[in-house]
Amino acid sequence: MVDLAMHMMDIVQNSIRAEAKNIEIEFLENNDDFTLSFSVKDDGSGMSELTVKKLSDPFFTSRTTRKVGLGIPFLKMTSEQTGGSVEIKSGLGSGTEIIANYRTNHPDCIPLGDLGGYLTLLFSANPEINISFIYQLDNENFEISTQMLLEEGIDDLSNAEMMQAIKSFINENLKELFTKRNKTGFLC
Amino acid sequence: MNKIKTLADLKRMQENVKSKVSLRDKASRAEDLVQVKVAMATCGIASGAKEVMEFFVVELDKRGIEAVVTQTGCMGYCFAEPTVEITLKDKDPVVFGYVDTKKADEIIEKYIKDGEFVDGIIPRNYETIK
Repeated sequence: MVDLAMHMMDIVQNSIRAEAKNIEIEFLENNDDFTLSFSVKDDGSGMSELTVKKLSDPFFTSRTTRKVGLGIPFLKMTSEQTGGSVEIKSGLGSGTEIIANYRTNHPDCIPLGDLGGYLTLLFSANPEINISFIYQLDNENFEISTQMLLEEGIDDLSNAEMMQAIKSFINENLKELFTKRNKTGFLC
Repeated sequence: MNKIKTLADLKRMQENVKSKVSLRDKASRAEDLVQVKVAMATCGIASGAKEVMEFFVVELDKRGIEAVVTQTGCMGYCFAEPTVEITLKDKDPVVFGYVDTKKADEIIEKYIKDGEFVDGIIPRNYETIK
């Protein structure tokens, strides 16, 4: 995985497979402390304690199409290489929350990548799931969700022109938010 | 395209799109449309499935082909990612491997438009010949 947006797409796919109806994606960046916490929370089927333990084993997967499962091990790798960590909270029937912590002043911190592009694809391919996204930088934030778009009457989520517009909307707003960083770490 | 920054811009865009869409005929029964499924698991994402999916969305619309572009999980062909499954009307699904934007263009022009097979098909649905 080259950037965090790829991780986001990857982890959210797990929630979709767990038949979640609500998925909350959160990026909490603390510019003063140089920390970034990226989390995905869903109300899907959840996992047993034993499954959670096996998650960081790359040769564990619930799929039948192949024998390896690298999504979580990669996430663990990119966070741990910055001195961060991954936490998983889950229970059968009570959904799952995955939190990956990054230190943004570490040179191995991977870039954020095209969050807008990936989010737009998620919105368009999963209209029946309420996906909410929030990026909080210190005290300011940018939020977008399926529900919010629908409430504003924006419902052609899989129309090509609308998708380009939504992507541009997200990326422009994030770009503006990022100008408010007062310290420069390695996150970009 | 103008930069879209505020929610108002986005709403205006939606109204625009709505008026355009209502002019077009809606033959929109899902099974009548071309269905494009892009594999979006760890393997697909890491090899650039997003660019391929965006390409299909934009280009199919530009070339006036009504299609549903959506995501699927890993189909087990991680070595050949990005993979794309295409279902034309009344035909069996066909899986293409090693799809980059150049290949995607070829698939649209030859397979989707004319039904002509192109290189890179992964034999997935074997049927016994009786």
